[in-house]
Amino acid sequence: MGIGAGPLLGPYATVDVLTGGPAAGGAPSAVSTPERRSWAWLGLLPFLAFVGIFLLLPTFGVIRKALRAPDGGFTFRGMTDALTSQKVAFINSVWISLVSAAIGVVLGGLLAYAAATARRPKWLRTLVTAFSGVGANMGGVILAFMFFSLVGRTGLATKFIKYFGYDLYGHGFDLAKPAGLITVYTYFQIPLMVLVTLPAIDGLKTSWREAAANLGGTPWTYWRRVGLPVLTPSLIGGFLLLFANAFSAFATARAINQGVNIVPVRISFYLQGDVANGGSLPFALATWMVVFMAVAMTGYVFLRRWAERWMR
Amino acid sequence: MDAVIDPAPTRRPSTWRSRIGPTLVLIVCGLFFVLPMITMARYSLQNIITPLLRWEDVFKKWSLSGIKAAVSDPGFWPALKLSLELAVATVALTLLLLLPTLLLVHIKVPKARPLIEFTTLLPFMIPPIALVAGVAAFFRPNAKWFLNSNFSLVPFYAILALPFTFRAIDAGIRAIDVRTLIDASRSLGAGWGRTLFRVLMPNLKMAIVSSSFLTFTVVMGEFTIAQTLLKRTYPQFMYEFYSNRGQGATALALFTFLATTAVLGLMFFFVRRRDRRAGTTTTVF
Repeated sequence: MGIGAGPLLGPYATVDVLTGGPAAGGAPSAVSTPERRSWAWLGLLPFLAFVGIFLLLPTFGVIRKALRAPDGGFTFRGMTDALTSQKVAFINSVWISLVSAAIGVVLGGLLAYAAATARRPKWLRTLVTAFSGVGANMGGVILAFMFFSLVGRTGLATKFIKYFGYDLYGHGFDLAKPAGLITVYTYFQIPLMVLVTLPAIDGLKTSWREAAANLGGTPWTYWRRVGLPVLTPSLIGGFLLLFANAFSAFATARAINQGVNIVPVRISFYLQGDVANGGSLPFALATWMVVFMAVAMTGYVFLRRWAERWMR
Repeated sequence: MDAVIDPAPTRRPSTWRSRIGPTLVLIVCGLFFVLPMITMARYSLQNIITPLLRWEDVFKKWSLSGIKAAVSDPGFWPALKLSLELAVATVALTLLLLLPTLLLVHIKVPKARPLIEFTTLLPFMIPPIALVAGVAAFFRPNAKWFLNSNFSLVPFYAILALPFTFRAIDAGIRAIDVRTLIDASRSLGAGWGRTLFRVLMPNLKMAIVSSSFLTFTVVMGEFTIAQTLLKRTYPQFMYEFYSNRGQGATALALFTFLATTAVLGLMFFFVRRRDRRAGTTTTVF
């Protein structure tokens, strides 16, 4: 994830990686040797030190720079200034993330349902899963080039649509604008949603449907009273995950155009600018980014745990 | 339980009517997924620019000249070489860090598991763009010499790949009975070194290979950090070459995409086979 969309073939599906799905939880393979004062944990230090130096220290560095006043004191001024001075970037980022996450949840959810319930071609489910694995990790330069060739100014679909009398670019469409980025992001959002919801849809037991039918419920009552309530935590969780995925996506947008006005691209822009002026702006923006991510991801993890009650 | 009471599956017989909706969703999503690939392939491999393309030209002028131009650009090999070197270094660093740590967690300190696991999830909360800001905030003032080297990217790439590599190796260790293997090996008189290299490693081959592949694809595609730190890696070259020759750059992207997908597909296949044998599930994907 990005989370997704970071590297060309970004993170390999965030899916269970985040919640420690079924693979992670298992009993700690009953291994501890009879209690002896053990120094074995010292062996973990190199790894922890590595993460500390190359992940935590840089993050603290960002937060410190974001919260430091020019005179060396502590201030939230930089953070609030970043919000006001980069208002458009924040609005664009939030809007793009909200809309692309919403599209991802709806289409991804439906697609997962279609794949989970289809029985006729046996390979269909495998095909959808495999394609989702590829799509969810799509991003960066390759994805940008794909969409240039599709709906860029001289893209094939642009030409095709114009042939039928509608001029996309004449009507203000642009890959670098929010509508364009939403189109592109949808490409990895839908597959990611499929990957996170398939297990939840599999968790809907046939017996519930039968029970509802035996008690005289229509399919509609089943969905309204049983199906959707059970799926709700998964769907909201999926939405949060997708939001975070889009919000943090840098590579794709940057490869489309360096002028794209969204928060991650602004961070990179100010980082590359004259650093000597000591501006705290990129660091304040990055701190906001971490805050957004932490909220969305924490929400995702909790909802996911909640949803797993039904997946046993 | 259902099966005992009612052996015949009683899912509503799916009439073709009830399948119209799902089928439509499958077709729409399928098209959305495949069309950009097709247009990318056409643009890469057909020497007719899109505005001039007509129906009767569909089968004309297909060629590999775009990719040839990209490959023969003087910037291509250095960029590819750098990314390959970074990938190899990142793979080595990742294995060196994760294998001992995870074996230790499994064998000696299972209590540390939640901590290690949480640590490997942090890269999701701190996305690449925030990490690179951190690099600027922390390493620029304190260790500028470090950032001047292209290989300063290696530890950060290892961090980016951590959630996936951790998962892959962890699943591998879980799929074998480490404790029994160690006990057997030790009681037959093997020392720790022998146990590690002659017994454990061969059994973890699949985990090592898959985590290496994952690392490789992450490094070969990483754009955020390289772009912001102005390192001329392979994706950066593709990106820059686009303004020079769009077709060549797109062709390069096409082949890179096909290669990475093939590699990951193979890995997915092998991991699934192992899981089926060992009765475990790996959810790296």
